Amino acid sequence: MWVFKAVNKTIIQLDNVTVRFRVPHEKIPTFQEYAIRWLKKRRVTYSNFNALNDVSFSVQQGETIGIIGANGAGKSTLLKVISRVIRPTQGRVLLRGRIAPLLELGAGFDDEMTGRENIFLNGAVLGFSRKDIASRLEGIVNFSGIGEFIDAPIRTYSSGMVARLGFAIATDVQPEILIMDEVLSVGDAEFQKKSMARIMKYHHNGSTILIVSHNPNSVNQLCNRAIWIEHGFLKMIGQTSDVLNQYSRNIYS
Amino acid sequence: MIEYDSHKKLPPFLDELIQLFHYHELIFLITGNILKNRYKRSVLGILWMLLNPLLQTIVLAIAFGAMFKSSLSNYPVYLLSGLLTWNFITQTTQYSMGTMAYGGGLLKKIYIPRATYIIAAVGNGFVNFMISIFSMVIVVLFLGHPIESSWFFLPFSIIIITVFSLGFALLLSTASVFFVDSIDIYQVLIQAFFFLTPIIYPISTLPSYWSGLMAWNPFYYFVEIFRMPIYENTLPGNDLILISSLLATSTLLIGWLIFTSKADQLAYRL
Repeated sequence: MWVFKAVNKTIIQLDNVTVRFRVPHEKIPTFQEYAIRWLKKRRVTYSNFNALNDVSFSVQQGETIGIIGANGAGKSTLLKVISRVIRPTQGRVLLRGRIAPLLELGAGFDDEMTGRENIFLNGAVLGFSRKDIASRLEGIVNFSGIGEFIDAPIRTYSSGMVARLGFAIATDVQPEILIMDEVLSVGDAEFQKKSMARIMKYHHNGSTILIVSHNPNSVNQLCNRAIWIEHGFLKMIGQTSDVLNQYSRNIYS
Repeated sequence: MIEYDSHKKLPPFLDELIQLFHYHELIFLITGNILKNRYKRSVLGILWMLLNPLLQTIVLAIAFGAMFKSSLSNYPVYLLSGLLTWNFITQTTQYSMGTMAYGGGLLKKIYIPRATYIIAAVGNGFVNFMISIFSMVIVVLFLGHPIESSWFFLPFSIIIITVFSLGFALLLSTASVFFVDSIDIYQVLIQAFFFLTPIIYPISTLPSYWSGLMAWNPFYYFVEIFRMPIYENTLPGNDLILISSLLATSTLLIGWLIFTSKADQLAYRL
């Protein structure tokens, strides 16, 4: 098996990344209310909310990084800004490699379409060409274990089957960067083992992994470094055990 | 090798264009899926695309036919040629507003070009438009209305109308993300414009001060440029061609610039 040498190569780089949401003090989503306020010369006031605040760090190829922090700390926003769903308000995100976000398995699946049609659709959403997908179709179907149901509409699938198919498509090609929200629990025990084995194989071959998790044990087990985020600030980055120690001390103090 | 750099090297209007090109297969797939989904569960399937405008024409011809009998011969031909343009413009714009305001979920989950759904909506409307032209042919043949060489101008009419629809859809979709009720406002406006535009009636029935105002109704030009080669069997005049193509291209240009300049905010707003 070809094994990438884990050379010191920065694969993810965030420079002073700030993501700012503009939150209106009153909810005015309609043009009607906006117009009425404008006529009354009552200006709408906004406050700025920084979901991420001047966050900088870099990740080397082959690392496994755990991201920890309380609810609403900005972990999801961080993943979104890395997976280019939102562009940072300030600062810069640089990626050196293809990213496979395992956050939304089967994003864009169409319930009415068959599993096979959805492989092409989801493949296109992930940026693969039709030709590419066609040559990988068999491998994807086999890995998902959907079997003969592949020609049935997705709406007849169980939620586990949908997730299995989504996982099989998203991970068929080894990505340079894998992003996960919590350790995957896709499908039944057997499939979980299979999917974890695939991820570990990719990791072994040089893929970089980012995991958001609330479970200190799995972070401790899997990650060589951890990032602690609090109120949108990067509170701490370092060896997993150090960060986890500080984090738990902070919680229980 | 840098796969992604959040600092844009290109202006948004160019960047989005390049991304769309990269994702063109996705646009075709989504367009196809909209078409398939709409007609998959009905027995008549794709036949509905033909029947729909025909039935609409029959109903309106029964309702208004007698009124314009003296001024318009072969009234159903006049009616349907106007309706097809009108339906294309309004259906594609309404559909793309709806998908952006309610179905923009995918844009929040994963990166795809922001204009993907809007272009797919216009593509879907375009296919519908093409198919419904067969219903036009059916009506024309049935009534024995002459078909002349002026029909060769129709591809240009269709291109002009499509360009306008795309630009208009981009503008309206941007609005629908920022103001949810713009969909309702638009609904009311197109209802009004349906009667303000000579679709079911000839412009000659209007008093002269009203028909003068028609110059300010953009829909008038697009309805006319499609209807003239079919109903009157004449080529549209230079003025009409010039005004409608200028209107269409400037709408697309402005729509594209506004949409792409706001595109990054969409994922924040949706």
